[in-house]
Amino acid sequence: MEECIRLEYDVDGNNFSSAGNASESVKRTLKQLGVDAASVRRVAIAMYEGEINMVIHAHGGKAIAEIYPERIDIYLKDSGPGIADIDLAMKAGYSTATENIRSLGFGAGMGLPNMKKYSDDMQIDSTVGVGTTVFLRICF
Amino acid sequence: MKVDELAAKAGYTVFAEGEPREIENGYCGDFLSNIISRAPDSCAWLTVMNNVNVAAVATLIDCACIILCEGVAPDEALLARAKALPVWLLGAKENVFEEAKRVSALCGI
Repeated sequence: MEECIRLEYDVDGNNFSSAGNASESVKRTLKQLGVDAASVRRVAIAMYEGEINMVIHAHGGKAIAEIYPERIDIYLKDSGPGIADIDLAMKAGYSTATENIRSLGFGAGMGLPNMKKYSDDMQIDSTVGVGTTVFLRICF
Repeated sequence: MKVDELAAKAGYTVFAEGEPREIENGYCGDFLSNIISRAPDSCAWLTVMNNVNVAAVATLIDCACIILCEGVAPDEALLARAKALPVWLLGAKENVFEEAKRVSALCGI
């Protein structure tokens, strides 16, 4: 088995002020490890969008990052409502965010498309009423 | 041009000070997902969005500074986060278009 640095975070679903802490921490770690700036940015964006999704839609969850020499694997796990139609959710501009969320600057319907755009591999495993796990792989 | 120099020349309010940074670019917008996917590094980010997530997004995109336009003052949470990170948080009186013109002219970008 490959060796990796494993980081685990609780994403607080009721706290917009701490949203982004996990991605910020991963970003800092990657910088310290000397990962190139463009890759660090891709990771930070993809992971931040995932974190925000968990706060907006799923009352929080867990974010796990496994850092290998050549890549990072990120697991975003929540026990939220699940995604009924993943293809529709992946469409740029489609959003189920409320007006209140939009007033905070979210809900442009770009979260999942951004995650896909900035990752090399993305898998969504979701069951309505049970929760969602998003897997992101970004190669440096 | 450095952020503190721009603030002095444009008469912007300095709500929070960050590390010395050079402004190399600009970006205007309020939808955070657009900003994090499109704003260039070391930009001056002009917005009217005022909440704590603005500071988080600013560090993700590694912008040179945030400029809150139209006389918007940061709420307590944003101010605290900007100071803690730290990230430059400036305040400007006019709308985003007018302020973008000003930043462009002063910084030569």
